[in-house]
Amino acid sequence: MLILHHLTAMHWAVAGALLAAITWLLLWLTNQRLGISTGFENLCSLVVSTPYLRRGEITGSHGWRLPFLGGLVLGGLLSAWLAGGWAPIWDLGRFDTAIGWGPAGKLAWMFVGGLFIGVGTRMAGGCTSGHGIFGLSNLEPASWISTLSFMSGGILTANLIYRVALAS
Amino acid sequence: MSPWVYALFGTAFGFVLSRSGAADYDMIEGMFLFDRFQLYGILATAVALMAPGLWWLKRHGRTAFGQPLSLRPKPRHPGNVVGGFLFGIGWAITGMCPGPVLVNLGEGKVYALGALAGVLVGTALFGALYERLQQPLRLPALRVGTGDG
Repeated sequence: MLILHHLTAMHWAVAGALLAAITWLLLWLTNQRLGISTGFENLCSLVVSTPYLRRGEITGSHGWRLPFLGGLVLGGLLSAWLAGGWAPIWDLGRFDTAIGWGPAGKLAWMFVGGLFIGVGTRMAGGCTSGHGIFGLSNLEPASWISTLSFMSGGILTANLIYRVALAS
Repeated sequence: MSPWVYALFGTAFGFVLSRSGAADYDMIEGMFLFDRFQLYGILATAVALMAPGLWWLKRHGRTAFGQPLSLRPKPRHPGNVVGGFLFGIGWAITGMCPGPVLVNLGEGKVYALGALAGVLVGTALFGALYERLQQPLRLPALRVGTGDG
């Protein structure tokens, strides 16, 4: 069951097939390699100007990455709206039961996690989409190494939070 | 290609992430705690189908409109391991990887604003530190960047 409207999640095989189809069509129709976290560099480069954010790969890809990122927000909005209406949500499932912080605590927790995501994905050169879905499919060594690394980091951290720090 | 096409691709991708559990805190923690198979099933299915599709497309060598396919593998360097691990920590803390940060925001999950702010600050921070990290992590020359994701 999902936090969003307590929906039943789509079957994993259907979801995986749809994500593969969208990724394949994006390459076949538009010649773009799926990758989401790089789009955050495009966003940053609109306000911050460091040599890293000025490289051609970023300045030359605003035209597709920025609308794609906007689409992701829209996809979430549409999903909520079609499932029973859009409304602000503060529910955080397991976190509420086990940790139970209020809005300010959640925002701070998420900000800290976000810092790790931002620095980590840029350092690794990709995230679950570019390395995970695309890079693994393309049998790229960098992607297999990165995916194993982020899965390890996640497994270790979640277990430290829920099985060690909060073990009762 | 029109920006609307990319927005449409993003919307479809985001919708599936939202409905599949890839943008759900409990599903992500359940994956990392080995309580739920869902996310492993999604990634495995996507890769199992995308791999032959990609193999065929590379052999074919052209897009639907006859352009030569442009595909560069991502560079391999120690940042894959260190950065990957750091990203994994962040994914477990927030229950979101980069796409789902935006999907959660669209769904109305207000706390995703915190995650988005963190990701943007982290991204800018890495950019500011790039020249200093370049040598220890053997990152590519700046012209190339670390590849896209």
